[in-house]
Amino acid sequence: MSNNLSRRKFLKVVAGSGLVGFGAMVTGCKGDSPDGRGWIPDQYQGKGDFPVNLKGRVAIAASNPSIERDDEKCILCGQCIEACQNVMAVYGNYPLPLKMEVACVNCGQCAMWCPSGAITEKRSIREVAAALDDESKFVVVQTAPATKVSLGEEFGMEPGSIVNEKQVGALKALGFDAVFDTCFSADLTIMEEASEFVHRLTSAKDEIPHLTSCCPGWVKYCEYFYPELMHNLSTCKSPQSMLGAVIKSYYAQKNNLKPENIVSVSIMPCTAKKFEAARGEMEVDGQRDTDLVLTTRELAVLLKHRGIDLNTVPDAQYDSILGESTGAGRIFGATGGVTEAAVRTAYFMVTGSNPPAALLNWQPVRGLTAVKEAAADIPGAGTVNIAVCHGLKNARELLDGIKKQGSSKWQFIEFMACPGGCIGGGGQPKSTVAAQPEARLKRIAAIYREDVNAPKRCSHENSEIQAVYKEFFGSPLSKKAEKYLHTTYTNRHDRLFD
Amino acid sequence: MAVLVDITKCIGCESCSVACKLYNELDFKSKPRNGADELDDNRWTVIQQHTTRKERIRFVKKQCLHCKEPACASACFSKAIQKDEKTGAVVYYPDLCVGCRYCLVACPYAIPKYQWDKQFPQVAKCQMCESRLEHGDAPACVSACPTGALTSGSRDELLAKAHQIIASDSRYVNHIYGEHEVGGAEWLYISDVPFEELGFKQVSDTPVTQYTKNYLSKVPGMAAAWALFLAGLTYYNHRCDKNKKSDDDKK
Repeated sequence: MSNNLSRRKFLKVVAGSGLVGFGAMVTGCKGDSPDGRGWIPDQYQGKGDFPVNLKGRVAIAASNPSIERDDEKCILCGQCIEACQNVMAVYGNYPLPLKMEVACVNCGQCAMWCPSGAITEKRSIREVAAALDDESKFVVVQTAPATKVSLGEEFGMEPGSIVNEKQVGALKALGFDAVFDTCFSADLTIMEEASEFVHRLTSAKDEIPHLTSCCPGWVKYCEYFYPELMHNLSTCKSPQSMLGAVIKSYYAQKNNLKPENIVSVSIMPCTAKKFEAARGEMEVDGQRDTDLVLTTRELAVLLKHRGIDLNTVPDAQYDSILGESTGAGRIFGATGGVTEAAVRTAYFMVTGSNPPAALLNWQPVRGLTAVKEAAADIPGAGTVNIAVCHGLKNARELLDGIKKQGSSKWQFIEFMACPGGCIGGGGQPKSTVAAQPEARLKRIAAIYREDVNAPKRCSHENSEIQAVYKEFFGSPLSKKAEKYLHTTYTNRHDRLFD
Repeated sequence: MAVLVDITKCIGCESCSVACKLYNELDFKSKPRNGADELDDNRWTVIQQHTTRKERIRFVKKQCLHCKEPACASACFSKAIQKDEKTGAVVYYPDLCVGCRYCLVACPYAIPKYQWDKQFPQVAKCQMCESRLEHGDAPACVSACPTGALTSGSRDELLAKAHQIIASDSRYVNHIYGEHEVGGAEWLYISDVPFEELGFKQVSDTPVTQYTKNYLSKVPGMAAAWALFLAGLTYYNHRCDKNKKSDDDKK
């Protein structure tokens, strides 16, 4: 056999294979097209117009400050639309064609519902870790009431386990310079909000019904869909932003810290808090109220990265001078909690004495009923009719009812965007089946246990609150309080509607 | 099979592009070659966001329009791109492809992309889920659209529907993109914003293939005539040689 391929043989091979190829082509042997080797959920079989209940997914803009999505994990199950449309009444409630933005109230319920973990909060774990490692920064942290009854679930504890001191211990182990309690600023919120409500009830009647403003998801919802009610919203900032403002003013002053050297972190059960922290309004004298927000889930990730086990970490106590809380502040995390806390202090403000035992265990505003109604008899102010609403779809029905009737039979309405209030927030652990009312009820029960076990039950009894007014703000609704603790709202209606 | 895209109904959720990637097993992790919202070999369809002159946001789905007279198929000498007569899909068959990339150049919308980093690269473009169409299913993207921005059906039906929508709703511009563009396409778009503002290419109504058809159609005849001419010339030469030889012999 010759090693040399003759010229003739080479040409034969080339021409032969060319002929075979040409023959294959003209006879129609075209092989498979490269499409359609993958998987697609069963509900998408058929002509495309078969009716199905769940399909597609919600739109998440790249600029969304609260949530993001990993397309690779998305299985197009449609659960996010279910949450957005049927729980929060956002999807499907803005007109098409779009105007300036895709409506999103940043509640994060889609992240809770998402079964494959495609939708998550926009994470700030690295920024917080970097701040902790930066020696030149004074890094403070605050923990929301709802995180204390849920963080344990990320470490194998039963839903409703109270991890109050353990969370503080874990945060100190992480290296935070001071750990404060958002329940403290919940008490502060109550001082401002109850004063504001009493003022509206007696002299600014056009601002009745008084609508609560601690839930950023609800606030944005109101700005989008009910701008005519914006003047009914309480002007109080949320506890997160109030504490942030107090840290960078009162606390910084007392401890000779430069506000620009403070990094203020908050641990929240909520993705909308990230949006709230980024709002233009949440700034005093050029200082952001809150610098970084971690959800309960993100904190669990950070703790695990740093090898801190919540089960074994030593207990610790919140730092003064922003660490004391009363039962009233602690129940903010459950639907109805803000109302109950506000009524306790409003009662004191009007009558000068603490509320009767019935108002300290006020069952009509507790529980998971969609809209709860209650009436509080406050001697001197008469009977105050109250509604408590959680889940924005319920809010929409309630507000549409008011719109239709032209007036509200309630003087005070509490709104929480998420089902069950903050304990069911979009940043809460998914380690317990998220949409289960049982888990929510256990977290709520834990919140009220915290209230009963508190040495003080009313916000105005908090000695650190009394100190902050004495030394800094003067009195509720004072000029200084207005500057640091109150805010304004932005009409977002015309971003969606013509 | 055709698809009608109602741009006014799109909210930019990108269900369609995810459905496309799932069904066609495209790589989710691949780095965008031409920008995150541009087509490439792993992005057969993308959603592009536009801000109109009136400061409105609009989302436009981009993919192969499946022309009625596809320039890519016409440019392909190995028949690796073929227009499927039954479904209307313009389908790429990698087994026939020689990798010349004429189709990339020929397409008036610059749709076909190439697997530049593969050892044995293929062309990549929307196949309109031909394997689904064969079973009577809608393309994956159409099935997954939650807002009704995408509907599929026969081209005539969808055209009638589009005309009816435009006639009944004054917000729409009176133009169905894809009805006549380069001879018409299976994908049709209606919009309330002029298509120029949404990045749609202004193309002529003449099919690209028409330009070359006028002279390329004469090629077979000319080739035959040329062959005949050469044959005649050869015959003449041979005859001259033969006559010369016989003359020499006689001498």
